Amino acid sequence: MLILGEIRTCVLQHSRALDRSTVAALLALVEGEPVRRSDRPVPHAVSPTRFTGVDCPLPTQKRCRGIGTIGARAVVTGGRVLQGSTRVRLERAEADRRLPWAHYLARPGVVQAIGKLTTADAVTGFLAASTPGASIDLGAVADRLVGSVQLSARLDHVTPLRAKRIRLRWSAELTAEAAAEGTAPACEFTVVDDTIRTLRLRLPAAAAEDVQGFCENLALHDWALSTLLTLVERSDLDSAGHAAFVRLRPAVDHLLHLWMPGAHVAPALLPLWEGLERQAGFTKQWSVNRDRIRDQLALHTLAAMRNS
Amino acid sequence: MAERVSEPAATFHELTAEPRVEQIPLAHLSIELGHLYMEDFAAGPARLADQFARVAPWAAAANSSVVPQRVRSAGRTPRVSTCFLIDDYFTQFSSPAEVLPQLQAAASAHGLEIDYLARESACAEADGVPLARLVATRLTAMPAPETNGSRPTVLESGWLCNGQRSPHEQGHEAMGRRGGWAPPAEIGARNHSVFLDVELWHDKGGRRVYSCAFLAAVWQLLRLGMLRHEGANVVHPKTLTDGFPDRWEELPPVVKLRENAAPFCAYHSLSLLPGRFLATEHAVRVILDQIAPQPELLDQLVERSERDGLTVSPDLTDRVDYVLFNGF
Repeated sequence: MLILGEIRTCVLQHSRALDRSTVAALLALVEGEPVRRSDRPVPHAVSPTRFTGVDCPLPTQKRCRGIGTIGARAVVTGGRVLQGSTRVRLERAEADRRLPWAHYLARPGVVQAIGKLTTADAVTGFLAASTPGASIDLGAVADRLVGSVQLSARLDHVTPLRAKRIRLRWSAELTAEAAAEGTAPACEFTVVDDTIRTLRLRLPAAAAEDVQGFCENLALHDWALSTLLTLVERSDLDSAGHAAFVRLRPAVDHLLHLWMPGAHVAPALLPLWEGLERQAGFTKQWSVNRDRIRDQLALHTLAAMRNS
Repeated sequence: MAERVSEPAATFHELTAEPRVEQIPLAHLSIELGHLYMEDFAAGPARLADQFARVAPWAAAANSSVVPQRVRSAGRTPRVSTCFLIDDYFTQFSSPAEVLPQLQAAASAHGLEIDYLARESACAEADGVPLARLVATRLTAMPAPETNGSRPTVLESGWLCNGQRSPHEQGHEAMGRRGGWAPPAEIGARNHSVFLDVELWHDKGGRRVYSCAFLAAVWQLLRLGMLRHEGANVVHPKTLTDGFPDRWEELPPVVKLRENAAPFCAYHSLSLLPGRFLATEHAVRVILDQIAPQPELLDQLVERSERDGLTVSPDLTDRVDYVLFNGF
């Protein structure tokens, strides 16, 4: 099974963290379908999934036409961070022509490919396509979802901290055979540039929704770390003056308490996080910078007390 | 002393974090014996008798149709329920206490029994749940070829079609392209198009008035058990203990008339209707073709049907059948 997804992560345009009921109202994207909420260990809410129809080329070398729906949901963590998260499962179509639309709506979040679809071709093409052109555009759907949530009248549209919107494009090959053949599960995370990341997963069978949840969790932490590093860089920490304190304050107010790698991730997928930590040392880098900020704030407070 | 447990298997759940969809009772087949409009009733008892005379043979045939047959061959007894829809949305006429006994009598004179009676206005809102809005929110327009998700889907407010509208109508001429007319096109047409543009609702005096076709689509979704509100069932047939009321508003959205009736909702629906409903039911099909059911509900339905002697298709339009008759 092949799943593709794209996630946009950004800060909610609101001056303070949103409370649970406002988040629930913000994410009620489909009338009558509940928003899923979890309060521990960090508040986390997931909107119902909305579907968008597509009939377009797939990003493959061999010509493939994909027909079906892209599933999109919005996620808010800590009342602070907003994600637009899209997902499709690609599969080969049985017919060589487009079928009545009800056929595709009965398979929500599935895109059926007419043509010679191979997993390697689709994964390579999708992860490389930072501008999808005429082919399937999961990013645009995620962008529109984020845009529509940010426009809500429930937000005061004050930017609480300067943070880039980061895009994570991911693919997951779920193959029972891979496990049987002894092919090791793989997790390749790539920082392409300031705002683009890719993630290629190869796993034994797992629920598509769990995989999406893992990717959202990784995107959230990658965004938090990237945002923190930018803040630290801009704040000129070594000067330890009042200006540095002012520039760092948003990190303390909005970011430091959000770091919980693996929270709300399906237990079976937690080893992926452990592997990434070993390789990329996310938490190590986070802790070092968090401690530097705290030390500087403590020094600043001491100095202020001495001068008063 | 008890042996020390070395590693307890800890689990933690937050129920608000898990999707839940209420299970509801399901029959195998729901047969609609007719729609009643004011003019049918005004035309007198002979009209009602005539309609049931035409319906009766098809209803009998339905009991030996392929759905009940499959259930029987799986060694189970088919559960079949019948229903009837009364318009109280566009016009309210007479009273339930006057109309409904006549209706029941006309049906039983032809060997038919109505198990459930529903009010059309209940398709807009029932027991405080805005059913029509729940359906509207699930509309997922069929994409034209070369739609890749980069642009928002065009859902004209209150209209839904089965293809691409004529570009002429979308204001290209206003942009300076004269003579740029092109015909509308049905998506998935075989050689030639049968293009249909359906009015779902219009807003009048601050009130949204749903079209007959849209309410009929809600009616189909209700019968197919495909609607939930916050995960909960929205169909609650009630038995009347004090006879039929005098006012339509006092009639429950769905009334259960026969105690031992099979459930109202079913895997398949069959509607036996006069031929004049053809255009409306074509529109219903265009609407149902573009309704995205809740994914958890689809999984539940297919899995349940397999245990129930009938493997149902997840495609909504595969589950809806009609007999439209005139002279027969």
